Amino acid sequence: MTDRTTASVADLERRFGDPWDPGNPTGHAAVLAADEAGEMLTAGERLLDDYGLNAEFVPPDLGGRLTRLDHLIEVLRVVFRHDPCLGLGYGASSLIPAVNVWTAGDERQRRRMADVLLAGGRAVSGYHELAHGNDFARAEFSALPGDDGRLRLNGRKEVIANAERAEAMVLFARTSAAPGSRSHSQLYVEKADLPAGAPVHLPRFHSAGMRGVQLGGLEFRDCPVPADAVLGAPGLGVETALRSFQITRTALPAMTAGILETGLEVTARFAEERVLYGRSLAQMPYIRSILADAFTDLLICDCLATVTARAVHLLPGETSLYASAAKYFVATLLMDAMDALSRVLGAQFYLRDGGYGIFQKHLRDLAPAGFGHAARVACLSTVLPQLPRLARKGWLDDTQPPTGVFQIDADLPPLPFGRLSVGSGGRDALSASLSAALGSPELDGELRRLVLVIAAEQADVRRECAALTPADLSVAARPEALRLAARYAAVLAATACVNVWLHNQERHDAFLGDPHWAVAALGRIAERVGRDPGQRSRHLTERLASEVLARHRDRRGFGLSNRRLP
Amino acid sequence: MNTPESAPPDTELRSWLRARVAHYAQLDAAAIDTTVTLTTYGLDSVYALILCGDIEDHLGLALEPTVAWDHPTIDALARYLEETLAQASPSGESR
Repeated sequence: MTDRTTASVADLERRFGDPWDPGNPTGHAAVLAADEAGEMLTAGERLLDDYGLNAEFVPPDLGGRLTRLDHLIEVLRVVFRHDPCLGLGYGASSLIPAVNVWTAGDERQRRRMADVLLAGGRAVSGYHELAHGNDFARAEFSALPGDDGRLRLNGRKEVIANAERAEAMVLFARTSAAPGSRSHSQLYVEKADLPAGAPVHLPRFHSAGMRGVQLGGLEFRDCPVPADAVLGAPGLGVETALRSFQITRTALPAMTAGILETGLEVTARFAEERVLYGRSLAQMPYIRSILADAFTDLLICDCLATVTARAVHLLPGETSLYASAAKYFVATLLMDAMDALSRVLGAQFYLRDGGYGIFQKHLRDLAPAGFGHAARVACLSTVLPQLPRLARKGWLDDTQPPTGVFQIDADLPPLPFGRLSVGSGGRDALSASLSAALGSPELDGELRRLVLVIAAEQADVRRECAALTPADLSVAARPEALRLAARYAAVLAATACVNVWLHNQERHDAFLGDPHWAVAALGRIAERVGRDPGQRSRHLTERLASEVLARHRDRRGFGLSNRRLP
Repeated sequence: MNTPESAPPDTELRSWLRARVAHYAQLDAAAIDTTVTLTTYGLDSVYALILCGDIEDHLGLALEPTVAWDHPTIDALARYLEETLAQASPSGESR
């Protein structure tokens, strides 16, 4: 983290205050009460207004603070840690449409979106139609020219956070009847510019988690909008989405890791407080191993997410691969880890009140990580068709990524919205860095052995990808084919972990510099892809469990940044 | 071969494209009409991106990955590629 990130994160943490203080208007008790009422936490929204969170979503040339994706993630992660409803309803829901405007909008559209956000307004994106799910090229919502030259909006968009409260929207619409991928456009529309009565707001959708977030829908009937509402040229809607979503597919699951941080904190607290059979849970080896594993999974998520976020800056031509792989893998690990932690809490994870009630809320709020924005299987379907070409060619190329992609504190160039591409062009420098790590003299012992296990998996994935048939590259792919994309993501995560360990030795963080966590991480990943990680030393589990409990006692975060909490 | 009147005769590039499309559509090359859009054969946006990669590797060109979205028939694609090849010089645009 840069000094500026550290300062903003500390400032935001101070504003949220101690979550365990029952009198804190933005603490766990207040967050739970808002959830029970199905409302946004008003005090939290005010806090984020005062902090000026929206400026984090706006590029600096338009007056905002969106200079680095890793910075954005760290800030939003604080919000998710305290209240995921604020993270989604105040954060991600405005970020997604905004990024599409930064990627494809003209100067006027960019200025207007920036003005709405910097004034504390909300933006929403209307991509989703319930009948078509992630198959958004089948979207029926249309924006076709009327007799007066203006476009006419027709159709409905559903399950949209803040639909009713937003000042600005980005709508994905069919603008041509022709088949193919140039028949849709995105439109930037402000509600103030629409005729009275438009759009019609659909009744609120009620959800199992994120209950405070107001999910609504928009319906338009022959609603006129100016022809220049289109973002970029007409027909670029699919391409703009596929490019912009690389930023949001990277950022959203990474922010959501804040939920697992709270999960770990609640579980560590419970384990220390609860006494069974005359000893605290925290002393029981079974409980300690669950804590150690969940902590390891969080570090894996952080490594993959951080490297992917840095790759967006440094390797924008390749992030179509990395962002979708990361979205799939990070979301999966977060959900599995929270599920495992829930077993430590026993009945306490099921109760909606009492001292640990915040856990069940965070667990429910995490579920959208699996399907929201892009379903995990849709992410695998983005990765899979790129793999055969990589197996034939790209993975034989030893071109290495810039080392800055792994160095947590290194500077980054501005976000290259214009250089994101819908395909990786057959390049995958991150994957090449696994074999490069093997050549590193620092890599020895247990970690080296595990990198070899992962390298064997990488070789198998390459061999099997080279043998994929055309039918396996489409949505009709066999489960085994999709599993190849998942295995690719797992290898990428392991590659990120070992290289983060190798390239941050100067960081004065004794924990990060020690190979133990990387050994644990690679072991977990090897197990996940069905490889034998070998016997894991009890010492390793002990060490990680002790670190979890120590960080809990010292009030430090559980993520890679290991930062002090107020 | 029963080629529609509007289609130019098969060049090497055109027959190669026809064979690639046939491969992805899992049809006989003779069944592929070079004047209709790739979507006619069920080849959606994803296959268009894959095909672009094949073309880059085959011709040693760097192309926009969306080239087959903008030139959605074999004929249109072949025309575009022939023009691009004609313009490409050894010092021309490359990655």
